[in-house]
Amino acid sequence: MFAITPHMMSNFFEKISKFIFLLSIILFVIAGVLIIFLENDYYQGISFKIMFIHVPAAWLSLLIFFSMGISSIIGLVFKSPTSFTISRSLSPIGLIMSVVVLITGSIWGNLTWGTYWVWDARLTSMLILSFIYLGHLFLLYSFEHFQKADFAASILAIIGMVNLPIVKFSVDWWTTLHQGSSVFKIGGPSMTTDYLITLMISFFAILLLSFYWFTNLFYIIIENRRIERAKLLND
Amino acid sequence: MRIITLNRQIKKRFIFLFIIFFCFCFSIFLISYTLKDQIAYFVSPTELQKMDLDSNRYLRVGGLVKPKTLKFLNDKWNFEIEDEDGGSIKVEFSKSLPGLVEEDKGIIVEGYMGKNSIFLAEIVLAKHDENYMPQSAIDKMKDEGIWRGD
Repeated sequence: MFAITPHMMSNFFEKISKFIFLLSIILFVIAGVLIIFLENDYYQGISFKIMFIHVPAAWLSLLIFFSMGISSIIGLVFKSPTSFTISRSLSPIGLIMSVVVLITGSIWGNLTWGTYWVWDARLTSMLILSFIYLGHLFLLYSFEHFQKADFAASILAIIGMVNLPIVKFSVDWWTTLHQGSSVFKIGGPSMTTDYLITLMISFFAILLLSFYWFTNLFYIIIENRRIERAKLLND
Repeated sequence: MRIITLNRQIKKRFIFLFIIFFCFCFSIFLISYTLKDQIAYFVSPTELQKMDLDSNRYLRVGGLVKPKTLKFLNDKWNFEIEDEDGGSIKVEFSKSLPGLVEEDKGIIVEGYMGKNSIFLAEIVLAKHDENYMPQSAIDKMKDEGIWRGD
């Protein structure tokens, strides 16, 4: 993996990105149809259907931060430019995902709990995660040389990984207004199979869309560097 | 195959990062362990009865609405909150309740402990659990006799 240069990776992404986009659109259509025809929850009514955006976005915001942290560690230890570029192109996607989680969650909260926002452990730690994403993005673009920016941002990503188990297990460790996790819990998922399948399909749809976006960002970052280098050589 | 050996510098960097990460984890753990009671969003009625209360302390109590206690009397909502340990507390609330507040469902009330051990709520939030299922699945489970709710 450490022998893979960013250019090789960007060329590979350019080839597969269209296929991934097509696949994600198909999954989105399937998920949309399933969500429309799904029976409402016995207690929350139709408002629970916002879960099919909220939960995949939440998983992704955690997953993306985890990948950013791991690739930052690899980047710092092995001085690999590819992993720094992976981390750099994942950052805005994770920020968008965490903002989506907060927005859909507050809509859902207003419909069921009766409030848009409370300062319980889950909601607060998720807000902190989105702030770390924002700080990571700011760090990436606040240095003149991208190597320095990559170094600073990687340290933030590694330290920020501490927050991930807090977000995930906050509902188990402390009493919160937010409900516990339904899918990854002891004793199996606490929802019926049709809900679970729909949730998984919408998760993979959003995952593939994010991956498509990630490949494009990766390609754009590498192309920009290529152009800048050509400019420098011409001057 | 060639065995990849980590050279000394890579090892050094890895250990350095690991120490940073470990120290940070440990400090966060210490902070959250010390603040355990502050981070908890609500207390249960049983915990409330064990606490020695100063008269005007603003706090949150959460649990299930006790069945057959949710009533509208004298322009006020009256109900009792119970928990699994058997504790319960009477609550008064003078505004309109959120739509999902039902008997035997989760609830969180925010306010002061009044006289005659009646809790005067200022904010009421409905707390739903992590179980999602359609009505048809419940009917099916009721037919089979394995439904434990209600």
